[in-house]
Amino acid sequence: MGKNGMGKLDGRVAAITGGTRSIGRAMAEAFLAEGASVVVNGRNADKGATAVAEMGGSDNADSKVAFFAGDASDQATCEGIVDFAIERYGQLDICCLNSGGVKATAPVAQMSDEEWKLEVDWNLNHVFWGMRRALQHMIPRESGRVLVTSSIEGKLGKPGIPGYSATKHAVNGLVKAAAREVGTRGITVNAILPGLIETDIVRETGPESAVAMGLDGYDALIDMFAQESAIKRPNRVEEVAAVAMFLASDAARNITGSMFPVDGGTMPY
Amino acid sequence: MGELDGRVACITGGTRGIGRATAEAFLREGAQVVINGRDPEKGARALAEMDVGDNAHFIAGDVKQRDDCEALIQGTVDRFGKIDILFANAGGASNHAPIVDLTDDAMQDSLLWNFWHTFWTMRAALGHMIPQESGRIITMSSVEGKVGKPAISIYVAAKHAINGLTKSAAQEVGPMGITVNSVCPGAIETDIMAVEGPPAAEAMGLTYDELLNVFAEESAIKRLNETSDVAEVCVLLASDAGAGITGSMISIDGGSSPY
Repeated sequence: MGKNGMGKLDGRVAAITGGTRSIGRAMAEAFLAEGASVVVNGRNADKGATAVAEMGGSDNADSKVAFFAGDASDQATCEGIVDFAIERYGQLDICCLNSGGVKATAPVAQMSDEEWKLEVDWNLNHVFWGMRRALQHMIPRESGRVLVTSSIEGKLGKPGIPGYSATKHAVNGLVKAAAREVGTRGITVNAILPGLIETDIVRETGPESAVAMGLDGYDALIDMFAQESAIKRPNRVEEVAAVAMFLASDAARNITGSMFPVDGGTMPY
Repeated sequence: MGELDGRVACITGGTRGIGRATAEAFLREGAQVVINGRDPEKGARALAEMDVGDNAHFIAGDVKQRDDCEALIQGTVDRFGKIDILFANAGGASNHAPIVDLTDDAMQDSLLWNFWHTFWTMRAALGHMIPQESGRIITMSSVEGKVGKPAISIYVAAKHAINGLTKSAAQEVGPMGITVNSVCPGAIETDIMAVEGPPAAEAMGLTYDELLNVFAEESAIKRLNETSDVAEVCVLLASDAGAGITGSMISIDGGSSPY
């Protein structure tokens, strides 16, 4: 059992694409607090080591948190993190396909094939590759949780980020289909749909997105999302992590195929 | 340490079924809870079974009556000093029929039971929550608040209306520290379901078991939901971590609803 937690995930093993920062990191900390062992991922080994140390882990065999280096846009990473978690901790109970973001900002009319492929690999293929590998492990065990970090843009659409909107819609479809495939096998598959959160990724890519969307800078982008919501503020990573923890727990065994909103009242459905 | 330490919750219905399971989950997380029902004897029995002393309280009342709804909210504040969480949980529908044969009374009764009761308790609760700039309102919708089935339109219409009310309320009080969400469960074999299910099935040309099987087969998990499924989502929505979730219709339906 982790500190402050009730041990709701004692003995479970989670893998999270991304996870050194922001939403994935908050998920990792929430899972650790409830007793799980966690593998986080990112491209940069130094950032990974720092994240592991900050979460109280180490290179030692008894560390409850480990890092798997790799780009979530690569098939080898998405399959590799699943295999690594199983090798490192003996099993995989919770697979969070969390990495993602806006890679290319352009209206449809101006978007190149190369830019489009970047979006599809990061936000859609990554989820498929990781989910397929995880389900191959979970189906024989008749137990598992797959969580996909989707977005409000998985139900809506904004100008200038068509690749993001399209791929987030697509992962929602993938989640619904997968949920029906494995619903009687003790495995749930759900998407979480956060509203805008000021993550590191958003701070990095937001300014360019704002330009592509015809807005007057990063602050205008944040304000636009906040004003679309009922709570008139961005969401917070802890709010997403609490939902992820819930969906990963035994209490959520009968919730599947859902698109769980954490958006302060932004989406109409 | 509970997720709801120091909070006061009011649950319409609550002696049995989903409301009861939610009352027990809220109590486990440290809240004080008022439950409601028409029958004081059932209320007393529920309190005795929950066995939490002064932390739970029963207020008798018929949610189809505005005065009873308003007295329930006021009674909660009188008993525990405030109201932090309202779960407008009670509901059901009787005298189902295809629309062509539907009586005004059947529609009116369902709207009173489901929709008006939700409105009356929500309005009264917001009267306390807006000044304190904090609160959680959870309304009881259904998978039938998102989709429709033949011959149960009185229920489907009322549950859809609750979702609309929930979304408007969320937009009104979003910046005030108050969230308003609905829960949309799939079929659960509660006591109310056992009473209302067979005539609903008959109106649909099915036996009760066939109706339950329709719901199970529509889901991805191929079984019915359970009261605890809903109770645990209510804890999440009522907790501090739920502050960023509002205006949402949370599906607790084993993968039945398409959205």
